[in-house]
Amino acid sequence: MAVTAPYRPWYSAGIKEWILTTDHKKIGLYYGITTVLFFAFAGLMGLGIRLELWQPGSQFVSPDTYNYFLTAHGIVALLWWAIGVWGAFGNFLIPLMVGARDVAFPRLNALSWWTFFAASVLVLLTLIPSNQIRMMWTGYPPFSINENAGQAIIYILVIHLTGAASIMGAINFLVTTLRMRAPGITLKNMNLMLHSIAAANTIQLLGVPSFAGAVTMLFMDKYMGTNFFNPELGGDPVLYQNVFWFYSHPAVYVMVLPAFGVFSEVISTFSRKPIFGQTAMVFAIWAIAILGFMVWIHHMFTSGVPDWIRIVMSYTTVLIGVPTGVKIFNWVGTLYKGSIRYTVPMLFTLGGIFMFLIGGLTGIPLALPAFDINVHDSHFVVAHFHYVLGMAVTFGAVSGIYYWYPKVTGKMFNETLGKLSFWISMIGSNVFYFFQFIVGLEGMPRRYADYPPIPEWITLHQIQTIGAFILAFGLLLTFINWIVSAFIGKKAPANPWDSNSLEWSTPSPPPPHNFDKIPELPADWSPYDYHKKYH
Amino acid sequence: MFRVLGVLGLVGIAKAEPLAYPAPLWDNIYLIWLFIAIVIYLVVSIPMLYFMFKYRYKKGVNEVGEPIHGNTTLEILWTLIPLLIVIYLATQSFAYYRDQRKPPENAMEIKVIAFMWGWEVEYPNGKKVYAFFNEEYKIPEEQKIVLPEKTPIKVLLTSRDVIHAFYVHPAKVMEDAVPGRITHLWFQINKPGEYWAFCREYCGTQHSRMVAILKVVPKEEFIAWVNGDNLKQANAINNF
Repeated sequence: MAVTAPYRPWYSAGIKEWILTTDHKKIGLYYGITTVLFFAFAGLMGLGIRLELWQPGSQFVSPDTYNYFLTAHGIVALLWWAIGVWGAFGNFLIPLMVGARDVAFPRLNALSWWTFFAASVLVLLTLIPSNQIRMMWTGYPPFSINENAGQAIIYILVIHLTGAASIMGAINFLVTTLRMRAPGITLKNMNLMLHSIAAANTIQLLGVPSFAGAVTMLFMDKYMGTNFFNPELGGDPVLYQNVFWFYSHPAVYVMVLPAFGVFSEVISTFSRKPIFGQTAMVFAIWAIAILGFMVWIHHMFTSGVPDWIRIVMSYTTVLIGVPTGVKIFNWVGTLYKGSIRYTVPMLFTLGGIFMFLIGGLTGIPLALPAFDINVHDSHFVVAHFHYVLGMAVTFGAVSGIYYWYPKVTGKMFNETLGKLSFWISMIGSNVFYFFQFIVGLEGMPRRYADYPPIPEWITLHQIQTIGAFILAFGLLLTFINWIVSAFIGKKAPANPWDSNSLEWSTPSPPPPHNFDKIPELPADWSPYDYHKKYH
Repeated sequence: MFRVLGVLGLVGIAKAEPLAYPAPLWDNIYLIWLFIAIVIYLVVSIPMLYFMFKYRYKKGVNEVGEPIHGNTTLEILWTLIPLLIVIYLATQSFAYYRDQRKPPENAMEIKVIAFMWGWEVEYPNGKKVYAFFNEEYKIPEEQKIVLPEKTPIKVLLTSRDVIHAFYVHPAKVMEDAVPGRITHLWFQINKPGEYWAFCREYCGTQHSRMVAILKVVPKEEFIAWVNGDNLKQANAINNF
């Protein structure tokens, strides 16, 4: 080999290097840029939905197009943004946080990304009108087998491809976290972000095969003449819902646990204080991941399953409120006697915790069959999961992207624009989703392209649409900030936030091999002890 | 004991004669939850906002946060207290849910078969009403589902094609209509008038137009209607 040149950052790599790369940072960037673009795609679909609901009747799009928007919004917002974006975080951060030079299986990692890329191309093909899928992201049979649902095969392949990508990523993340930690980093003192991603990916590993099984049965029913879900020949459509939600309920923790991880990293860094009750936090993360597998019937409280199982799963569901409560209380405890600096990532984190608090408290009644019987499949549910999965996860991811932006790009973002973006998004999202609760309590069913001209409903929908556009404008400022700062931002130092966490001990952006020497950390090391100094 | 509580809830509200049953049970669980949720919201957000203000960074005053790693007593408290609260809520819901699901003995049974897109309603004497979707939400008179006032009604639900749902708006109850299964719900509307029923499980192009009108009339009027001219009804369907 030639003489070693000075380290080249990721952005100076050539096309060939990008295509053949197995570098976890480049793959992380692939995931990050793709998922942010797809978030914008899902957001535009969402705005289309909001415009159509401005008043009763069909104004801009036909019900079929609306149903496609809703399906695409759901699939892309969940699988690309809320789950996919954490693939970016996991890839970029895990090796840096555990003090490794790459993930455990770099080539498997590259395969994971290209599989995800194939799924991305496939989902964009649904923009061609004859390829539309209109079965909602849940794809319940027998409807999904019906002609009215559009191209079921695209849905099935998208689930298989993103699922395969997830499993490959999950294996990498788990093995890297468990086996490649630098000396001194233990399961007890390692970053909560690592625990969150590990718990989320344990769910992926155990759950995705169930979802894949559900859509495989769907595939065989539709194209090969089997009758898993056909009641006329002994099948049962509710079987699909069971197999589907066995993964898709825990999947919400795949989305939200890493956001919790970001909240913990950011709140500790900018309070200059250890995490309050770090051990309790670790137990809470894993309790949520385990309990998550025992609650799926709450999505099926009105589906015709026996009443006794509804009651059993209502008890298991409310139990999840306990560890999530512990997490919120500990974040509040972390602020106590801190030295709080209101940077952009900190604002998004605190905003995200407030959104999660409202989302969590409105989730409790949905666990109660006596409450759910009136609001199941209403806009109340939609508002609830937009507070938790929509805003808490988005604020978590946006906070995380701002927080690690200097590390990833080597540039600083614009602080004022970021703060402006935060306040506009916070106001917009609350105007939007709070009134979605109200219209849900008034009975408005979800997945309605049109609604009867009930005067209160019209007013409530119009407030929501205004809120949605304020939110979109707020997030647009963040996108502009990210793009413009990458070119004209000030050069970032290695550790702009004075963080004790290991990823900040590398240069910004980190060289391809991350660490010249694998770090060795003292026995009392903690990424959160700001009264001590490590690097 | 919870059964007793549930009945007390019903009796307490029966005095005011609600618009529909079992809606008051939902109103009860809603108010219980709302109260608890607001208390928890304040208990979390007030200290949080106070800390956010009080411990903001001031140069030279608090350069670094205090090295507090946690407090075991607090951890136990904020695990146990929420645990008790959520178990209470689930149990209260259990008590109400039994009454929301169990139809009174004297309920009139109607069969509702959902299809893309509408409902076929069959009364005990075999009379049928077809409630088709309408793009303008203007339901013709002969497609309204006529029901007697102050009479508990048990609905046996199923579907002819895909999964639908039947949501009785004033009674605040719903259940899915699943092909190959018979599901049920019950309700009672106490005041004559016209009320919405919605399909609440996504079922395709006209899902959002799959609404029905429940036309509640005094009992005598209902009896006259249900035993009335079946031929006229049949013609109305053929003309559709």
